[in-house]
Amino acid sequence: MLASEKSQKDRKIRAKIIIFLVIVLSAILLIELYMLQVHFSEKYSLMSDKNRIRLSPVLPKRGRIITSDGKIVASSVHRYRLIMDYCNDKIFKENLTLLDRCLKLSEHDKQCIAEARKKARPHMSFVIKDKLSWDEYASISMDLFKFSNLSLETIYVRNYDMPLEFSHVIGHTGRSDDSIQILTGKTGIEAFLNGRLIGTIGNLQTEVNALGKKVRVTNFVEPKNGKDIKLTLDSKIQKYVYDIISEEKAGACVVLDILKGEVLAMASVPGFDVNLVSNKITSSQWKSIANDQLFPLINRAAICVYPPGSVFKIVVAFAALSEGVIAPGDRIFCSGGVKQDDRVFHCWNRNGHGSLDVCGALSWSCDCFFFEIARRLGIERIVKYAKKFGFGSQTGIELPNESYGLLPTKSWKFLRYGTSWKPYETMIVGIGQGALLSTLLQTAVMMGKIYANDYNFTPTMIRDNVKARTWHPIDPKPLETIKKALCQVCLYGTASRSCNTHYGISGKTGSSQVRKIKTEEAGVNQKKFDWKLRDHAFFVGCAPHNAPRYVVAVLIEHGGGGGAVAAPIARKVFDKLMEKQR
Amino acid sequence: MKISGQKSHFLFPSEFNILFFIVFCLLIASFLGQYSAFNGEFDGFVQKHLMRIIVGLVIMLGMYFINFKIWSNFAYVFYAFTFVSLVIVDILGSIKLGAQRWIDLHFFTFQPSELMKLALILALARYYSVLSLLEIREPKNHISPLILTLLPSILVLKQPDLGTAGILFCVGLGMIFLSGFPLKIFGILIVTGLLLCPFGWFFLYDYQKKRILSFLDPNSDPLGAGYHVLQSKIAIGSGHLFGRGFLRGSQSKLNFLPEKNTDFIFTTMAEEIGFLGAFLIIFLFFALTIYFFWAASESRRPFPWLLCHGLGMLLFLHVFVNIAMVMGIVPAVGIPLPFLSYGGSSLITFMISCGLIMSALSYRRQHADV
Repeated sequence: MLASEKSQKDRKIRAKIIIFLVIVLSAILLIELYMLQVHFSEKYSLMSDKNRIRLSPVLPKRGRIITSDGKIVASSVHRYRLIMDYCNDKIFKENLTLLDRCLKLSEHDKQCIAEARKKARPHMSFVIKDKLSWDEYASISMDLFKFSNLSLETIYVRNYDMPLEFSHVIGHTGRSDDSIQILTGKTGIEAFLNGRLIGTIGNLQTEVNALGKKVRVTNFVEPKNGKDIKLTLDSKIQKYVYDIISEEKAGACVVLDILKGEVLAMASVPGFDVNLVSNKITSSQWKSIANDQLFPLINRAAICVYPPGSVFKIVVAFAALSEGVIAPGDRIFCSGGVKQDDRVFHCWNRNGHGSLDVCGALSWSCDCFFFEIARRLGIERIVKYAKKFGFGSQTGIELPNESYGLLPTKSWKFLRYGTSWKPYETMIVGIGQGALLSTLLQTAVMMGKIYANDYNFTPTMIRDNVKARTWHPIDPKPLETIKKALCQVCLYGTASRSCNTHYGISGKTGSSQVRKIKTEEAGVNQKKFDWKLRDHAFFVGCAPHNAPRYVVAVLIEHGGGGGAVAAPIARKVFDKLMEKQR
Repeated sequence: MKISGQKSHFLFPSEFNILFFIVFCLLIASFLGQYSAFNGEFDGFVQKHLMRIIVGLVIMLGMYFINFKIWSNFAYVFYAFTFVSLVIVDILGSIKLGAQRWIDLHFFTFQPSELMKLALILALARYYSVLSLLEIREPKNHISPLILTLLPSILVLKQPDLGTAGILFCVGLGMIFLSGFPLKIFGILIVTGLLLCPFGWFFLYDYQKKRILSFLDPNSDPLGAGYHVLQSKIAIGSGHLFGRGFLRGSQSKLNFLPEKNTDFIFTTMAEEIGFLGAFLIIFLFFALTIYFFWAASESRRPFPWLLCHGLGMLLFLHVFVNIAMVMGIVPAVGIPLPFLSYGGSSLITFMISCGLIMSALSYRRQHADV
């Protein structure tokens, strides 16, 4: 009982401390209030009377984006709109009748305006009429003095010239989240180089009278317009490439100029209308784009990742030759399948390719050959060379969120799944399948590295973007063998039907499986499967033979065989490029 | 058990008269203030505000009829429920990539961080109400209340809502202090906390840093971050002794004031009703706080005693931080003024507080012998 009384007493003291604090703080408030409202009131009244300066931001014009052939693919255009400050019902009605005389509003317009007023946040001005025509703008600005709280505003909207073709490269814009609502890049180059494009916001200081109406401009800080950006992409090639790929459901194509280290085209199909997404888009329109089964918003060239399939065999062959696990003349016998870990791994040709050397194995894309040399190399050495050719890291292209891809290693698998690496997984990675993932751009850059004879080859999309880099030559001996083999692919190998040309294409086909193939399905024409179950078709090539200049990488999502589907498309692109070069 | 000789009353005993009078005055001030802040337009927002006032009154009076024991029994459940909804709001916010502080229940939206203030006070009062004196002397028994305080504070801070997080933290600390936490250790903690404050700087968002810098010197950049507070001071100062008159404040009517119906409502009103009116409003809040503390001293049991003190501290902290902010004494943090600011969650929270006070007082009357 004594203890509880003691605690009661203690608590009472503490409560008194709190009450004391409350009294002190209240006193502080009252004293400050007295100082403001009585003691210094003259000073503040004066400031209040002088309080006539308003500051409003003046938006700069966003820089244009221009292709290498001089086409302006993204530009900012003026738009005029009529703004009304928040006001009470009476003034609103007066304004509306005046406006009616000026503009001849329809009943629907009036309803829209009343609606906009209801939706406006309290005390915020709201848009009465968007997209004013020049005539409307002129007639209102003549009579603007009659209205008590109307103002005309000039805003910029983004206009894209080739919205579908360039949708993923250039990206789209939106309004910034703050109150200024300046155009800001959200994806693509618009986002990556936003700082260069956006410019600097200016300020307009105006004096207002007692009714809050603008009287005169007291200070004006001019906005600085954003800088233009010149791309290395060529609008004609981009359009050509996009149109060709569009004949398929979904896919992508990257065209590089390895002499200049530039990207000539980067298209991803299907595209989406950036004009729609950047400006006013209704929620149903947005839903139809975002929920499209083909995912048009994804950039299939640089962000979407795929197993590279047989294209990856170039890296494995190079690694095998460099590490000396196989000599250029050594032959390995393909019987149509290899047994490992109690499972049989089949070659794509179940009848077997017979005895092949490296060149033959690459030209016929023999799986058994690569199972064997991948086994000899081991996963660590494959990954080492894949890294050299740019897999597993960003290529440094001027796009936000570029994918890294995935190079599976023993430690990766242990961290991810907690299980140990199995020998057969090395073999599967050897043919570019399994957990291995890369972007189409990475495969194109790999090809670029080979034919530019430079490990440090990285392409750019921006004209004045001078990347300081050192030349890091590739070991010439294995490279010669690889180049010879890639040439053979198009002469009599997997791509010979479409890529056997007078100027000479060197390349590699790839068909990456998206599922395990059952025994009874072997050799069945891919067209008979559901679209989603078909292989991804790849082709990566370089031309012309005597002076390698252009790299074309084609991906047709669920297209089927690389030689049958992707290679003919690449051939057409090469033809177009050669025609241009001449 | 009833005290004999008690006066018969109609529905509510007479001891609530003072409370009713204060709350009624504040609500009338609230309605008139909002009416003026919305430029004298009744339709729309002010109508909505009036509806909320009525709903709040019904809730407050309804609380009187709820058995007080329920609050003690369900304090932890209430806390857990509110905490979960706070987490949900955080997750929703991170999914939608933006600050989100409320849950949309279609017929109304509610802000879990507001409810958390009450839940925290209830949970702490419940926790300490069963501890004996010896147990309270043990610092280790104060660890769980500290966690109960810190967890929601950090969640709210992440929303990011610095003001509400600070209020939650301060109310929690106040409750821990009142419970009988050893004074020496409390003092040491406060001092080390103050010393660590500069390091907290690195955890603040850029806009929060800007606000604090502008608070330290508002005149340095009058059209930048310190603009609002300077305009607010001008508005209050130009009110003089008697004010510019109802609906005649030029600062607020010409839109120099930001948030003139929410965080800066005191400014809007002070400009129009002057020093005398503003003094009266501060006095009403002071009186209400003292009434809460009086209600605490009336009840001998630890749970209502702690609860009433907690609510009193919550109310006064809001009042002090908000009014000090609009006068430029403390940095600008988004704290609504109880009863007066536009917005349902805050109003309902304080109406519930008043209801809890009534409930606690009536419980004391029924169990006067204890």
